[in-house]
Order: sequence, then structure tokens, then C-alpha cells
Amino acid sequence: MKKIFKLAFTDFKLIFRDPSLRSFLVLPVILFALIIWAVPPLIEKYAILAPYLSLFLVVGVIEDTQMFSFISSMVLIDEKESDVAKVYGVVPLNKMEYVLSRFLIPYLFTVVLNLVLLSVQTICEVSVLAILLISFLAALVVPVYALAINSMVQNRMQGMVYIKAFNMLVLIPVAAFFVPEKFVHLFGVFPTHWVFQAIDKATQNLSIGLFTVIGFVFFLSLLWWVSRTFVRKHFV
Amino acid sequence: MIQVENLVFQYPGNDGPTLKGLDFSIAKGEIFGFLGPSGAGKSTAQKVLYKILEGYKGQVNIDGKNLSEWNNSYFERIGVGFELPNHYLKLSGKENLELFAAFYTNGKKHNSTELFEMVDLADAMDKPVETYSKGMKMRLNFIRAIQHDPDILFFDEPTSGLDPVNAHKIKQHILNLKNQGKTIFVTTHSMETADGICDRVSFIVDGKLVLTDTPRNLKSSYGKEAVKVDLKNGQSEEFPLKDLGANPQFLEFLKQDEVKRIHTLEATLEEVFIRVTGKSLGDE
Repeated sequence: MKKIFKLAFTDFKLIFRDPSLRSFLVLPVILFALIIWAVPPLIEKYAILAPYLSLFLVVGVIEDTQMFSFISSMVLIDEKESDVAKVYGVVPLNKMEYVLSRFLIPYLFTVVLNLVLLSVQTICEVSVLAILLISFLAALVVPVYALAINSMVQNRMQGMVYIKAFNMLVLIPVAAFFVPEKFVHLFGVFPTHWVFQAIDKATQNLSIGLFTVIGFVFFLSLLWWVSRTFVRKHFV
Repeated sequence: MIQVENLVFQYPGNDGPTLKGLDFSIAKGEIFGFLGPSGAGKSTAQKVLYKILEGYKGQVNIDGKNLSEWNNSYFERIGVGFELPNHYLKLSGKENLELFAAFYTNGKKHNSTELFEMVDLADAMDKPVETYSKGMKMRLNFIRAIQHDPDILFFDEPTSGLDPVNAHKIKQHILNLKNQGKTIFVTTHSMETADGICDRVSFIVDGKLVLTDTPRNLKSSYGKEAVKVDLKNGQSEEFPLKDLGANPQFLEFLKQDEVKRIHTLEATLEEVFIRVTGKSLGDE
């Protein structure tokens, strides 16, 4: 456990000493300000937005996950590019411990961000249980995103391209809100679809059990798969 | 300590193997070197031994136990000095060292300040590594490899990027580690490094070991057991080493003029390498 916290603490040092990463830490503050102060007056003024209230929460929740998705991806890409990753390959640290140490804090931090966002927003009413489930589920985007990118890229330039692509990928299931009912779950091939649908149903006071179960199974399976791919490639 | 038999390794996607059946062993307390040009397979062999590369064929035993049977405790016993500097540039040298020390049971065996003093980096230990020169980063590589007091050390081109003074110091530190009983495996394409520190060297070319022996044996068996005397008047002559002091021609020759230079005619390791392998150490 000491090793895990040592590494997690180092990550924060690296983030705070890199201006490009440090600036990303203000992203949730901007997002919170928009959701709390900017969106409610807009909804009041434009009635046309009423059917899409849950979409504001969908975007808010997914953007919360993007801060650490980006930061963790860049920290690992730098580590790969500078060959520091090779050093982790020859220290007595289990590779899964390594993965855990890199993502436990970002994951929990993202969970907290979503808990706060969903609790303080006034756009829709969401139950406490739904807030908890959605927060824990949505935050799984962080490790899956960063590990997937780092299983594919070798340097910062490639990383930036893939990050752009992944930013779009996670948002694609938003389109499900604009298609006929029978086509909605075609977007289920994207894991974030199940998060979005859970948020939508939660805002309508409907059960989100099925969507969160599918979401957790989907994300945890992906996490298992990308972790193995990452471990195979990162330390060589 | 280390026994390797018929080691074959092929990188995924490559047409053929990089290592083509290596056989060698390294005794406890020995400095063993792989000498060969770039791309010969030196670093690949080390990577197999420090368990970064999997999927090799052949037998690798460490302390009588198959390498694949060693768990994470193996990494407590080894130290790796990588060929190129690899540190967190935003962290100071000391933060880098202490971060990796935290992973070892023995990580605090050495005082970090003393390690920095040992390689003349004490003044820079609190500065970010991004301000270090390549030579300074390589010295940081070196102390990171030894800080947890491992039994087995792997150094990949340990003097690469160092000025002659620091290269000499690092070689002295490696010899001190040998005197402490450490088993050391060095790869290099530097003839001076191999000659200066290795108990035995293997010539490696195209993934195959061509010859293994002590540097002294290699140089004497491929050179002449003779001395060459150059006089200031321009005359030059060779004399066999055997009974040199009683050789009347040699003694007479010395009287002819002031001696400019006397040197033995043993081959350099590089000359032996070229003669044995037909390749130069600078070849790709």
C-alpha cells in the first residue's frame, strides 16, 4: 500500500510541475460553474431545451471524467516517451499494483467530482442511490481511456491525436438521444452509452439497475482487457 | 550464478531471431561482458535476463532456479543500469532516486546523499533532472541501479555519454562492486570499457557468440609475444619477449641511440574482435 501511495503522490507532483497538465485541474471548476449558474437560466429562458435536460447532466458527468482521462494519459505517455516506464519493469512492483497505483486516486477523485456535480445541480432531481451508482460507473472512463490510449501510442504527438479521437468516441452515444426509440441501443457498443442511459432514466425517476449492471460489466471487462494489453507493452 | 543455454529470442513481427542460441555462464563475483557492434543482440540478451522480454526459448537459470520461476523477489536482487537516461525530468535527482528506492525492501540501504557524492552529483541532487547534462543523467542511472544493494547488476553501455574522467570513475565503481562480491553483466561496444573491467568477454555478432575468454588471453593469443623498440635516430626493431633481458641483439640495439619508445605487440581487443568476427565494433 505504501508503494501505491508513493507513486500516486509522485503523479500529483508531476501534474503540479507541468503547466499544461496543471491548467486542466480548473476544468471541473468551469464545468461546475456552467452547470450551477449558466444552465438553469438558459433552461428557464428557452422552453425548447426542456426535453433535453438530462443531456446537460450527461455532458457534465462525462466532461468531469475527461480531466483525469487526459492528465493520466499524458503522465503515462511522458513516462513511455522518456523511457521511465522501463524502470518500472525492473522494480519489485506487481504490474497490476502499478496499474492500481496510477488510477486509484484519479478514479476516486472523479467519483467525488461526479457526486458533487450531481448533488449540487438543480437541473433535474436525481436520487441519492442513482447519484452514487452513476458516479462510480462514469468514473471508470478514466482508467479505460488512459490505459487504452497508452496501449496504442508511443509519444506525445500520437497521444494528442488519439486523445482527440477518444474525446469524440466517449460522446458519440449522445446521438442516441436524437434517434427513434428502436435504434437507441445500437449505441450500446460504446460503453459510455450505458452511463448516459442511466443518467437519462435517473432524471425521469425510472430504474437504472439494468443500465448500471450492463455498464459495470462492460467497463470492467474493458478495463481487464486494456490493462493486460497495457502491461504487455508499457514496460518494454 | 547465471547459466544460459541455447537462448533464442525473436521480436514479434521480425523475420528471424535476434538471439540465435546463446550459451554462457557468469560466476558469482565475476564481471562478464558482451562486446559487439550495435544491433548484435547485446541489450536483447540483458532484457531477457532482467525479465522485460518474455517468450524466449532455451534455458536461463539464476542461482540454480529457472528464470520463469522467479517471482517479484527477483527484482529485489537485481539492479539495472539502462543504456539511455530515463528519469522524470520534472523531479529532482533526489526525488527520482527516492521514488524508486521506495519499491525495495533494501531501498534505504545507502544514504542517498552519499550516493550523489559518490558520482559527483551532490550539488545537483535537488535540481530538476531536466537541467542535467546527459552525463549527469547517466550517473543518476548508475546510482539508481545500485541503491538497493543488489547481488546481480546489469549495465548496458555503462560509460556511454560520459566524459573520460567520469567514465573512468564509473569503471572504478563497477570494479569496487565486483570486490564486494556482486555479479555483473556488462554490454558494451567500447573496447576500453570491456578491457578495463571485464574478467571475461564474449564477442557477439548477429545474435551469436563467437568467442569467450579473458581480455588478457584474447590479446596475447592474437598478438605477438614481442616488444618493438623505436630509437630517436629512426631505427625500429622487434624482439621476442622470451629471455629478452639476455638477448644480446636487443641489448646491443639499445646502445645505438636514445630510446624513443618500447611497447609490447599484443593485440588490442578491437583488433582481436575484427580478426575473429570480420566486423568492426562501429558496424551497425
